[in-house]
Amino acid sequence: MPRERRRWLRFGRGAFVLPPLLLIVVLVLVPIVFIALYSVGLRTNIPGQPTPFSLADWKDFLFGGGGAFRGRFVYSMEITLFVSVVTTLAAYPLAYFLSFVARRHRYALLLLLLAPFFTSYLLRVIAWQIILNNNGVVNSVLWSLHLRPRGNAVSWLIYSNFSVALVLFYTWVPFVALPIFVVLENMDHRLTEAASDLGASRTATFMKVTLPLSLPGVVAGFVFVLIPTTGEFIAPLFVGGPNNQLFGNSIQAFFSDSPDWNYGSVLALTLIVVVLLLMLVFGRFLSTDLRAGPRGNP
Amino acid sequence: MLGACGSSSSSTTTTAISRPSISKEPGKLSILEWGGYEADGTKAQVDGLKAGKDYTAKFGGGGITYTYIINDDQALEKATSSGPFDIMHPCHENLPDYVSRGLVQPWDTKLLSSFDQLNPFLVQKGQIDGKQYMIPWDWGYGSLLYRTDKIDAADATGWELAWNPKYSGKISLWNGGSTDFEIAALKLGYPKMDQLTSSQLQNAKNTLQTQKPLNKFYWGSEYGQMQPAFKSGTIWITYSWQDALVSMRAAGLPVAYLDPSQGRLSWLCGFMLGAHTNEYYHAHDYVESFINHDACAQMTNLFYYGTSNDTVKPSEIQNKTLVTALDLGNPRAIAASDVHLQSWSPNRSQVDLAWQEVLAS
Amino acid sequence: MKLVGRFGTLSLNLYFWLFVAFLFAPLVVLVIFSMNNSMTPTLPLSGFTTKWFHQAFSNGELTGAVVRSAAIALTTAVFATALGIMASIGLMALRGRALTFAIAALLLPLVVPYISLAVGLLILLQTFGAGPSLTAVVLGHAVITLPFAILVLLPRLRSLDPAMNEAALDLGASAFGAFRLITLPLIVPALVSSGIICFVTSFDEFAIASFLAPSGQPTYPIFLYASARTPALLPDVIAIGAIVIAASLLLVVIAEAGRRWAERRLVGAGAAVQSALAEASVPLIAHR
Repeated sequence: MPRERRRWLRFGRGAFVLPPLLLIVVLVLVPIVFIALYSVGLRTNIPGQPTPFSLADWKDFLFGGGGAFRGRFVYSMEITLFVSVVTTLAAYPLAYFLSFVARRHRYALLLLLLAPFFTSYLLRVIAWQIILNNNGVVNSVLWSLHLRPRGNAVSWLIYSNFSVALVLFYTWVPFVALPIFVVLENMDHRLTEAASDLGASRTATFMKVTLPLSLPGVVAGFVFVLIPTTGEFIAPLFVGGPNNQLFGNSIQAFFSDSPDWNYGSVLALTLIVVVLLLMLVFGRFLSTDLRAGPRGNP
Repeated sequence: MLGACGSSSSSTTTTAISRPSISKEPGKLSILEWGGYEADGTKAQVDGLKAGKDYTAKFGGGGITYTYIINDDQALEKATSSGPFDIMHPCHENLPDYVSRGLVQPWDTKLLSSFDQLNPFLVQKGQIDGKQYMIPWDWGYGSLLYRTDKIDAADATGWELAWNPKYSGKISLWNGGSTDFEIAALKLGYPKMDQLTSSQLQNAKNTLQTQKPLNKFYWGSEYGQMQPAFKSGTIWITYSWQDALVSMRAAGLPVAYLDPSQGRLSWLCGFMLGAHTNEYYHAHDYVESFINHDACAQMTNLFYYGTSNDTVKPSEIQNKTLVTALDLGNPRAIAASDVHLQSWSPNRSQVDLAWQEVLAS
Repeated sequence: MKLVGRFGTLSLNLYFWLFVAFLFAPLVVLVIFSMNNSMTPTLPLSGFTTKWFHQAFSNGELTGAVVRSAAIALTTAVFATALGIMASIGLMALRGRALTFAIAALLLPLVVPYISLAVGLLILLQTFGAGPSLTAVVLGHAVITLPFAILVLLPRLRSLDPAMNEAALDLGASAFGAFRLITLPLIVPALVSSGIICFVTSFDEFAIASFLAPSGQPTYPIFLYASARTPALLPDVIAIGAIVIAASLLLVVIAEAGRRWAERRLVGAGAAVQSALAEASVPLIAHR
């Protein structure tokens, strides 16, 4: 094909990216801009209210009387970090099992691990509510086994830090296992062979060869759970008590229960910025080879 | 009655009113409502209210959609941003906000055949500048409902009962936004519960924050959360309106409705008409089916709320003790000196923000 | 030397299978209680019944919400996949900074928390005087599933041999004709994957739907949220939930089997396994 025609064809094809880009601009960038405008008082949802520029809500949230929201933000980050660490630790053995023990059926078993995540997240959270509830599965089993007097429920099972953390952990472990698995799969097994040839025990081989080489996958998995959990608000709605609501719940409350949206926009924008910062810091560990050229050009 | 095209009482609006007749209206009412107040004849009505029967008999119940609210602040938010609604049922302290935000238009009282039966004192409370924006319907009290067998009589003196650490984990206050600030104000002894200064607001917020850990939860839905928890003994003290007193007694529980030393809250609620409704005449028919004598009498016998219809006599209400105790025959009781009528608050947005802070703390 | 000794093998096996049991336990619980003859999901069980299914299916609001969600999800899947193809074609043709910028922009929804995006869309609607609508929900879902569609379709398009397309063009086919007759049939498995991922994401999405759906027209997740704390509705919710879960699992099995069959036919077993891995990594970010 003549070079000219090729170039024009590429230009024409490149333009195909414009309609989807337009959708993103209108439905993602513009709303974020509006959130920012609301947060400084330049817009309001209350008809007839004046809209002078004002940093009052920002100041209140960051330094002033909005201590409750700052506190909830810190609490959210604590839960997020805790869940992310525990999830990553729990996921590693699963990935290791798939890659080194399951060998022949590893892809089928991987699918088995991931299958529940194609089912409805909300339904799974509701299922946990049923399991952990005051007269739910766990408690009624304890009563039937006479380990507790009937009617006496374990109080920390539901509407507690435990229930929120458990649901989040349950949701994310398989996803976190996936990048670890991918890295373990792509690992050059000659290195571990070399280690054992040189006399290293199994433990030493793991600690000194496998584990370090798998770290990129571990970090990727950690990021996979860290970033979405920062904005999580659904689990607390179902299994969280009044003291276990996360930062996302405050945002939701402002926009559904409170007549003015300016303060809520401050919170919403803060969440966007925090997640973006996390992405910038940790994003380099998520490699996507989308920028690779056509076949043959890495 | 339906003949007049346009209504003289709304002549100050800029558009010339030329309404389609009732047969040309779509017939789909979108109503912002409290749970339990759904019209009889709709699938949503499961709590025994018979009001609205005349409307659904004529037009069927299928065209009515209810959007539920858990408190008036949420109602105002939904009315502002999730609307437009044809009918809204807020309480009267919100009236100025609904009007100033352009959410509502005045009713044409000539289209409501039972309007003349309504109590003049309540009717006047639903007016702004002489225009009837709210058709009053229900009134009553807010106080703490408590188990007499679990709570020491000596503790049941006033609103501070909800702050009593002895009953920690057995209390449930309402997720009621500004109402909780009114309770805090009364507990702190502030005379003007709806006009708090900023330092009073701060103190009220602080005291609510100290109360928060004592709650099992804040209830949002009376039938979904508060009543089941109270019935099962999960909570012993709860903020409630007087209908819960009746329901819990009927469930066999020994309960009392606190008469706090600081005085109970009182309230008046009613129907408002959406400013941009396409269902002008349907909306009037719907409200008429709620304010007629039979509907009001049944409502009072069910919930033991006061009714705005003066033709409902105390003799028609079954529980005479309650009639006397709650002074149901006297709508002016809501403005009596020993109760505090929930009224409009000039710094509502600060109160709302403060409530969100309490919830977040 | 084997990397994992006998003790290691045993304990890893135990750990894995216990974990799988842990993962599936809530699903099993739902299915069990959907057939339990009691209003409250508690043990001991009260006998087998199918009445909750009958009751759920005659619950018009519930079935309406499910149908509504399915319709929205289907529209979203088609719309997002179509946009995803367009975006992928465009991205293949870009180089350098334009490419970097375009990818960053198109994948942006992945890093915006859904709750913030939801309120942003609500503000957007308000600003233009539009009220909540199902169309708004579809648009919101399309924009959050677009990145997934791209992540599935772009690698697949890249892996195609451009020589075939060029040959078609040299033989006189139009650009669109070449696409339709050569490229499209080759990427059918990826199209299906993209469709399924977008469908599942939209069907289960709560944040955006809760703010953008009109009051009388709840989606299935909105209905679930509203009924989760209503004891009376719980049996219905559980019954339909059991069906949704069974259907989802069946869909996963069928989709995977179908995809492997198609891949094997088109590309060869080796590449089939490789792309299984790539496509399995997409749902990673799908559940927010």
